[in-house]
Amino acid sequence: MTKQPSMKSESISRARFGCAIGAMHTAVAIPGTVPIADCGPGCADKQYISLVFYNGFQGSGYGGGASLPCVNTTEKEVVFGGNDRLRELIQASTKVMKADLFVVTTGCISDIVGDDVASVVGDFQKKNVPVVYAETGGFRGNNFIGHEEVVKSIVDQYVGGYDGPKEQGLVNVWTELPYQNTFWRGDLIEIKRILEGIGLKVNILFGHGSGGVEEWKTVPKAQFNLVLHTWLGLSVAKHLQAKYGQPFLHVPVIPVGSIGTTSFLREVGTYAGADPKKVEAFIKDEESKYYKYIEEFSEFYCEYFFGVPSKFAVVTDSAYALAITKFAVNNLGLIPVKVIITEDPPEEHRDAIREQFHRIADDVSVEVEFIEDGFVIEEALRNSERRPAIIFGTTWDRDVAKDIKAGIVEVSFPASYEVVLSRSYVGYRGALSFIEKIFTVTISASA
Amino acid sequence: MAKINLETTAVESREQRLGTIVYWDGNAQELSEQSGYSKKSKCGKGCNLCEMKGPFTQPSVCSEQMVECQAGNVREAVLIQHAPIGCSASQSMYNTIYRIGLASRGHKVENLRISSTNLTEGDMVFGGVEKLRLTIEDVWNHYHPQAIFVGTSCATGIIGDDVDSVTEEYTEKLGIPVIPLHCEGFRSKHWSTGFDQTQHGILRQIVRKPTKKQEDLVNVINLWGSDVFGPMLANLNLRVNYVVDMATVEELAQMSEAAVTVAFCNTLGTYLAEGLEQAFGVPQARAPQPYGVLGTDAWLREIARITHREHLVEDFIKSEHERIAPQVEELKKKLKGLEGFISTGSAYAHGLIEVMRELGVTINGSVVFHHDPVYDSGDESQDTLAHLVDNYGNVDNFVVSIRQPFQFFTALRKNNPDFILIRHNGLAPLAARLGIPAAPLGDEHIAIGYNGLINMGNLILEIIERKRFCQDLSKHVTHQYTDWWAAQTDPAILAKHPELIWDDADTAEAIPSKRPEPVRDGAGQ
Repeated sequence: MTKQPSMKSESISRARFGCAIGAMHTAVAIPGTVPIADCGPGCADKQYISLVFYNGFQGSGYGGGASLPCVNTTEKEVVFGGNDRLRELIQASTKVMKADLFVVTTGCISDIVGDDVASVVGDFQKKNVPVVYAETGGFRGNNFIGHEEVVKSIVDQYVGGYDGPKEQGLVNVWTELPYQNTFWRGDLIEIKRILEGIGLKVNILFGHGSGGVEEWKTVPKAQFNLVLHTWLGLSVAKHLQAKYGQPFLHVPVIPVGSIGTTSFLREVGTYAGADPKKVEAFIKDEESKYYKYIEEFSEFYCEYFFGVPSKFAVVTDSAYALAITKFAVNNLGLIPVKVIITEDPPEEHRDAIREQFHRIADDVSVEVEFIEDGFVIEEALRNSERRPAIIFGTTWDRDVAKDIKAGIVEVSFPASYEVVLSRSYVGYRGALSFIEKIFTVTISASA
Repeated sequence: MAKINLETTAVESREQRLGTIVYWDGNAQELSEQSGYSKKSKCGKGCNLCEMKGPFTQPSVCSEQMVECQAGNVREAVLIQHAPIGCSASQSMYNTIYRIGLASRGHKVENLRISSTNLTEGDMVFGGVEKLRLTIEDVWNHYHPQAIFVGTSCATGIIGDDVDSVTEEYTEKLGIPVIPLHCEGFRSKHWSTGFDQTQHGILRQIVRKPTKKQEDLVNVINLWGSDVFGPMLANLNLRVNYVVDMATVEELAQMSEAAVTVAFCNTLGTYLAEGLEQAFGVPQARAPQPYGVLGTDAWLREIARITHREHLVEDFIKSEHERIAPQVEELKKKLKGLEGFISTGSAYAHGLIEVMRELGVTINGSVVFHHDPVYDSGDESQDTLAHLVDNYGNVDNFVVSIRQPFQFFTALRKNNPDFILIRHNGLAPLAARLGIPAAPLGDEHIAIGYNGLINMGNLILEIIERKRFCQDLSKHVTHQYTDWWAAQTDPAILAKHPELIWDDADTAEAIPSKRPEPVRDGAGQ
């Protein structure tokens, strides 16, 4: 249903997300999968150069970047329709590029002029060409919304129906948005590692730990879906529940550090019916390693003459904001003074997000603000009642950080002053890297 | 040449004005002969070259991005992207470049100021002009800018928002130029139309009618490059006015008072230089570009002629020749035997090949992202490709390809150079995967002038050492092209034989046969 636009400004300066077609990177994140961008000449480049390159310089891997097939729509297709051109490009793509799966993502032009993408792609599907499509015109929403569309398209059009037995202990994990989250590659590897540690078999589905389309074909067999995010993936899990009769477990807090990770593993282990002895043995082993480093770190943390800052602000998407705030408060004893949620989460999830922040610790409750516009975010930080000494934010926040003399730790898109390879900030191991980063930034600025 | 038409808000696209093409394959000599300047050209100036077209394409770049990187980088101005939010994703790229540019020129480093009207589904149905009004008021209240640019998008172009009326209304209401820039990506096949559109808007609404002349002021049309022109032209007692990026609105306004206009490359500067000449009487340098000793000599003499500094120029040229000669000789010894490959925008590539050849580096191949058969002045002194071919010889493999990695893959494997020079993203990583190091020329000015020879020589000596990294990498990566494509030696084969894509036997090879038939439900519904 199309709603009449409101007469309130919704302008956004210094964007912190892409649009729905940015979810072509959801396809790129599946090994062996190549998106086909049915869009104008700049759309694919814009999403790539921002979400992938000037965001930790992640690299586009096999199927993305400047290499993916793209229509580069011209006036001709706008006027006469783009079906023939798309058909030609899909056919040419199968000739030129090796892919296990092609994912057509449409842009504004195709969606506005009403190209019959379903029919064009359908013809190839009838010939058993592995290709699916998702309608991801930028006006439909941001790349978080596009991500769920692409995932459902792959499930419905490629993975298909299934009524066979479920595999006990197999879990599909729906968590961070690939590429948008600067650290998703390392994070997903760590999430997979710890879940395997308690005896589960993990479909991580994206990134270097994924088995590509062969793994996706086992999605319907999983015992359950794990949604490890404040909201992203919930609609996917509900879709899978209806489609395959799969239950899902929703854990809104991505665990960072021992306290969160241990309770996360116990919760998932119990839900999955994992062997408690195995769960506890893994936790014990991980904690013992983790706390050796923490013990050594404590010498710096408690004795650094010149002091380390306490008050922090977080400016990022709701899931990472929650993960970071929980860790910073509960593991490090830092003080949250401002939390700004930037990914424009759907209205129906906002109360649940607020509620999570009310329960950061027994005695710590935070009121979050939902803001997407850069100018308003900067004003909120600048005018914060209590001045943050560290901002967990983006490249956009460097200027305001300088103004209010705060350290800046870039944790979110765009993170253009970070080079990220396998670094993770979640789980047991990621938390140690996160500590290294936070305090390297703060003491580097000292003199 | 054709009159620059400042009556309408929309610029004529580059293909309409200049006959620009984005797909061609042959050698540089042929291309020069078939272009508009050539007496051998069958159809005269500004004609359409025979352009190829193929069924397989990879992402290009759009005009709106060039608006973003020019209008969005004017200090004290704000750019509004009248678009769904996706068009704003690239702000992060242009912000990085802007910040680095500000730092290199000694300006205060700060984020760029671009705001999106953030159009959503309802706006596609009901129109987005009201949101545009609200956004104009937002940026006015937030920043009190001296000018507001409004760039359009594919979406607003199709739904037909009347942007011109709104910008006109607010020009009056706010008392500053509010400038419509029509830059729908689908309207032009080459992004450089976005340069032209930005410059068109500036010519129409920012450049002032000159009431005085600044006889020592040189407009330098450039991007974010370091301050190379300033020190060089100071030798002729001239000051530079860098435009468009990082200029203030006042620096744009005063362009009409300058003595002469030059550009770091004609691809970027052709429209603005011609517009300043036609509409404001500021002459443009009718000279080769300032690359290599030959080009730089002629370029300096032309500037000296226009600014009446002939008495200064010969001494400067002589002393510069003497200064760089021993260094260039030393570099030539070290670079001996190396072969390079150039892949950048069109006129810039012509200049870089000249620099390489003066350094004794072999260049047999180049992929340029487009070709302008003629520039806006129509003056043969600006025929950069002929200047290259006539003075430095042919380039055997000369491909016009709009940043198409699959063609670049074929062209590189055919030429197998020791290094490539590159501008624009997306191709250097491919070269690295093939074991070939690339020098990405982020600072476009390092190749300019006499120092350009030394800078480029030293850069190449550094870059070729990266082959250790690239060759190691090349042993451990797989490329994404089918065996069929990898076996091709002609980067333009699909343009010549598009029917090949329908050869089902080969298509089957692209799809692993072991794949079980996918079970589908809901497909195509």
